[in-house]
Amino acid sequence: MMLLSLLLIPLVAAALIALIRRRALMELLHTLAGLATLGTAAAIVAQVCSGAVLTAAGDLFRVDALSAFMVAIITFLGAIASLYAVGYIRAEFDGEHLSRARLFFALFHLFVFTMLVAVTTDNLGVMWVAIEGTTLATVFLVNLHQTRTSLEAAYKYLILSSVGIALAFIGTALVYYAGAAKAGEIAVNWSALSAAAGSLNPEVLRLAFVFIVIGYGTKAGLAPMHTWLPDAHSEAPAPISALMSGVLLNVGLYAILRFKSVVDSAVGQEFAGRLLVGMGLFSILIATAFLVRQRNYKRMLAYSSVEHIGIICLGLGFGGYWGVFGALSHVVNHALSKSLLFLLSGNILLKYHSAEIREVRGLLQTAPWTGGLFLAGTFALIGLPPFAPFISEFIIFRAGLETHPWAAATGVILLVIVFGGMLASVNGMLYGEPPADLPRGDALRVWLAPLAANFVLLLVLGLTLPTPFVAALEQVLKILGGG
Amino acid sequence: MMGVALSAEVLSKAVNLLAFVALGLTILLIVRTRLEGQVRVFGLQSLVLASLCVLIAIYSRSLELFGIGAALFVVKGIIIPRVLNRAVANIGLVRVATPYLGTAPALIICGILTIISFYVMTPIAASNPLPAADAIPLAFAGVLIGFFIMVNRRRAVTQILGFLMLENGIFLLALLATYGVPFIVEMGVFLDVLVAVLIMEVFVYRIKDNFDSIDVGELEKLKE
Repeated sequence: MMLLSLLLIPLVAAALIALIRRRALMELLHTLAGLATLGTAAAIVAQVCSGAVLTAAGDLFRVDALSAFMVAIITFLGAIASLYAVGYIRAEFDGEHLSRARLFFALFHLFVFTMLVAVTTDNLGVMWVAIEGTTLATVFLVNLHQTRTSLEAAYKYLILSSVGIALAFIGTALVYYAGAAKAGEIAVNWSALSAAAGSLNPEVLRLAFVFIVIGYGTKAGLAPMHTWLPDAHSEAPAPISALMSGVLLNVGLYAILRFKSVVDSAVGQEFAGRLLVGMGLFSILIATAFLVRQRNYKRMLAYSSVEHIGIICLGLGFGGYWGVFGALSHVVNHALSKSLLFLLSGNILLKYHSAEIREVRGLLQTAPWTGGLFLAGTFALIGLPPFAPFISEFIIFRAGLETHPWAAATGVILLVIVFGGMLASVNGMLYGEPPADLPRGDALRVWLAPLAANFVLLLVLGLTLPTPFVAALEQVLKILGGG
Repeated sequence: MMGVALSAEVLSKAVNLLAFVALGLTILLIVRTRLEGQVRVFGLQSLVLASLCVLIAIYSRSLELFGIGAALFVVKGIIIPRVLNRAVANIGLVRVATPYLGTAPALIICGILTIISFYVMTPIAASNPLPAADAIPLAFAGVLIGFFIMVNRRRAVTQILGFLMLENGIFLLALLATYGVPFIVEMGVFLDVLVAVLIMEVFVYRIKDNFDSIDVGELEKLKE
């Protein structure tokens, strides 16, 4: 019952917002829906943490620890972004553009809904439908500003993601075929496939997994299928960029993980591991090349997402307890720091009206709160202690040095290059002489308050590894077979 | 349930024939230059797939598969061609598709893609006990050629048609390998494709308004 309300709240909210004409009512409903989704999710996660597996609607929905992990990330960052979005949309779309504000709020919740369906369903076909749904829900959000560049970004995003995800469908059909051909009436449910994994045709599964990695890898932003990502993530309004980079990429990764656990038990961990290490390393390499000479700060953050998804894939590919543990905690840490930075990039954009790095000068003087938080967020993102990403990256590369020394060492070198490149760009933005005609003071200062939650969590996870957090990740590890 | 009984051998031959026709229609899209003609080719291919689906439904006595065939016919055979025809009529002006590669080299590439498809998919098809499985490489070739059409064509409408051909190829692949994925999934897929095409139509109009053409080669501002 609770599971169904988790899905119904954002869906109903989206439908109601589309009907409302008054702005205040729209904003109220939007905020309440964001918080209610988070509250329901908290109750579900608490149940799963105590060892339960929730199901609903027959065998259509099933929430185990891995699903709950994703639900927690989606709803937590969803709530933060929804709070900030109220102020941001007010500043971007005034009374004359009320219809676009309505479109934003409605699609925001539809987007959250599709992501929640994708991670809570047990049926791999329905998961596919929901992930394609995330593209369809966000494409108009990317084009919300209706500029030529955002049109280009949205069209590319729609076409490339649709094709990518179509390839994932071949993978899904092949897995279904491997199940159906062997055991007669296996449905396309993950739990059934996972239980019968040992008896599936390894030949078919290998081919299927290649399609899955290419297909869902497109959604996860793995190079070389990442080309839509910097366009879409940089053209979307800040709260959506935050969710796309911090959360949606992880939903693509989640889909790969579900299949990986089946493939691992059928053909051994070698195969999927090698594929993920290769893709991960290549993604970091490509991202590094574009990061160091990036002139647009939103695109810089987007390429950094490609890099971090690569790091997570490295961790998963290295495998073993520590590799997977590091990857999972890096999912959390990257989501926290990237959404923080993308929301702040909205603030910078409102202040300077430009996404070019060289147009932004003296940020610390003109907007001390935005600038200070942006600096701290960047430190977190590039892996400086005492912030959490340092710990998870350390765990991943420590694990890698034992099993894949060359890949791990290359990864570390690339990380150092990114470190220097990003720091130089951000340094240029923070200091220097601000434009003379720019008024002092932060844009949307009160609306920055929710970001404190990201910040505190990054510090807490960076200074200690809280026991409940470790226990929760260990439950997920058991599902992924890395325990 | 059904009065007609089909032997596995007859089915296998009929399926092979229809899958071959479907692949031929995909290739025909490359030869056709006018957008209206291309839309018609797509509609025809959807019809072929729907009848193939019904044929397998009769053989395997599956009501579900029958429903899927009917839905395929309605969504991809009627609604989507109408939407596309409307788009072609509304954009007026340029109705000729201009590919990057000419017809002859494009056909050679289609041949190469078909060979690759047989190379990759024959071992998979061989392990399949279903009588329809022989045609799996043909279906996969359709997927690859659809993908190639998307890359090769500049016009947004042709790109959408390439995507739809690719979708049809995937549908056929799933149908031949497993007699179709479960009903609820297939319906969800149709819904997604339909919504995607409607959104793509909106974007065709927006591109037309902004760039005064539907040449996606114009979309090249965002780099690095």
